[in-house]
Amino acid sequence: MKHQPYIERDRLLLEGLVSNKDNALEIIYLENFPVILRMILQHRGSEDDARDVFQDAMIVLFEKVQRGDFTLYSQLKTFLYSVCRHLWLKKMQGPQSLELHVSLEEQTAMEDAVEEKVKKDEQFYVMEKSLNNMGEPCRTILEDYYLRKRSMQDIADKFGYTNAENAKNQKYKCLMRLKKMFFDQYKR
Amino acid sequence: MKDDLNLIRDIERYLEGDMSEQERSAFDALRRKDAVVDAEVARHQLFLQQFSDFGRRQQLQENLKRIHSAIDMDRLREAVSPEEAPVSGKVISFRRRVFTGVAAAACIAIVASLSTIAWTQHNARRSTNAQYEDVRRVLSNIQRSQNAIINDINSKNHAPLNPGTYGGTGFAISTKGYLVTNYHVIKGADSMYVQNSKGEFFKAISVMEDISSDLAILKISDSTFKGQPLPYSIQPQKVQLGEEVFTLGFPRDEVVYGKGYISAQTGFNGDTVAYQVSIPVNPGNSGGPLINNKGEVIGVISGKQTTADGIAFAVKSAHLKRLLEEIPKEKLNRKEWSNHNYLEAMSRQDQISKLQDFVYMVKVYNSH
Repeated sequence: MKHQPYIERDRLLLEGLVSNKDNALEIIYLENFPVILRMILQHRGSEDDARDVFQDAMIVLFEKVQRGDFTLYSQLKTFLYSVCRHLWLKKMQGPQSLELHVSLEEQTAMEDAVEEKVKKDEQFYVMEKSLNNMGEPCRTILEDYYLRKRSMQDIADKFGYTNAENAKNQKYKCLMRLKKMFFDQYKR
Repeated sequence: MKDDLNLIRDIERYLEGDMSEQERSAFDALRRKDAVVDAEVARHQLFLQQFSDFGRRQQLQENLKRIHSAIDMDRLREAVSPEEAPVSGKVISFRRRVFTGVAAAACIAIVASLSTIAWTQHNARRSTNAQYEDVRRVLSNIQRSQNAIINDINSKNHAPLNPGTYGGTGFAISTKGYLVTNYHVIKGADSMYVQNSKGEFFKAISVMEDISSDLAILKISDSTFKGQPLPYSIQPQKVQLGEEVFTLGFPRDEVVYGKGYISAQTGFNGDTVAYQVSIPVNPGNSGGPLINNKGEVIGVISGKQTTADGIAFAVKSAHLKRLLEEIPKEKLNRKEWSNHNYLEAMSRQDQISKLQDFVYMVKVYNSH
């Protein structure tokens, strides 16, 4: 299976996904969404259900690829399809039927990836709740510095601190609060 | 509190490489000495990792949202909607035609007996499944060439990106896009595409299905399809034992030729609808034409015996003809399924090259 041409194309797309290049995310999204939409509609879901399920599957894929532990056992679309199917069946609480044409190896890899995402979801929820409780300007300072990678000088200018050192001190205070709130609820 | 703030500042500076050489070695020493500080450094790293993962997730969700909002949902909705609505009007229901002619009571009796026959036949077939095998193929197992993918993208008539769930073969029976294949190939289909040997895709719908003879008539519904006169005719007369026959089909993504002979006048377990043919067939050959030396269609490949090699079955063309005659004349003009056969005097190679434009790969999409 490893050397088939479609695998080669999928591999290139996944490389693009790791490096955030070549619109890989968009290509994978647009190529696979119609199939998933059809599947969800046929299984008594709505268009919004299809969007939610598919975006969850894309997150599973993206984060698995970014972690570097994604092995392509079959086609990318097969992976996405089985993740979506799994997520939807789970959501419908229906009996978990055995997925057809999927090897056991693939099945467990897929389920592990979904579980990993569920775990992450919980952690992210804690982080989001903590951030929401932060209030301004703390929240924006931390997001600007740690997520948007702005320089301390930019942040000082934006929030009207007289110099970067003052802004930094404020940032440490904010960080301490956020960290405390986060770890109060965080469990591994 | 003050200490905590100093510690977090030191950890940040330490992790970001903001410390001087001296400060750094002092901090390293502190870490070794004080387990609480050391644990706090690890906790801080974990926190920063979580925070940046969170940021990446948010970024990803925003990107997905943006990509999704650019999709033209109206068009997509149309493309994925099940074909049931338009099809139901076009499917010629055997039941309904009987209804108009015969009294209702008689009709119910006929329907009941027919369905009993179909049901018992179906069950009989199912019970011997171990030996009889439909030769449709499961497409997801099959390699698609890189070229095919590129062709899909470049061609106007491209199929959905999903390679389909099942596949078989079909062949033209009229100049205007009517095809025949096996019922079991298209059973339970949500949508169907046919692909010719040039790689062109067309959407097809089922216009007639006959379970008892395992045949189905499809019609290409794409307006871009241009038909051409058929070079072969359908020969409904009985053929002789030992007559040489050949078939073209799509057990792979490419048309494959197979040659053999009629080995019995009845099919599996004495099924009078079919011939037994000694010919190599594989999953994907289902629905392919069985053609004699003159180039006339004498049957439709439908299955093979699993317990023996090289034993295949083909539905007799008389049943195909009977089915075609049930299609109303205004839909399928009798002239369209020509009685002229142009292949008689040709060599086998020429026959094949003429024929292969009329043999299609049938791709069936269903999600069950």
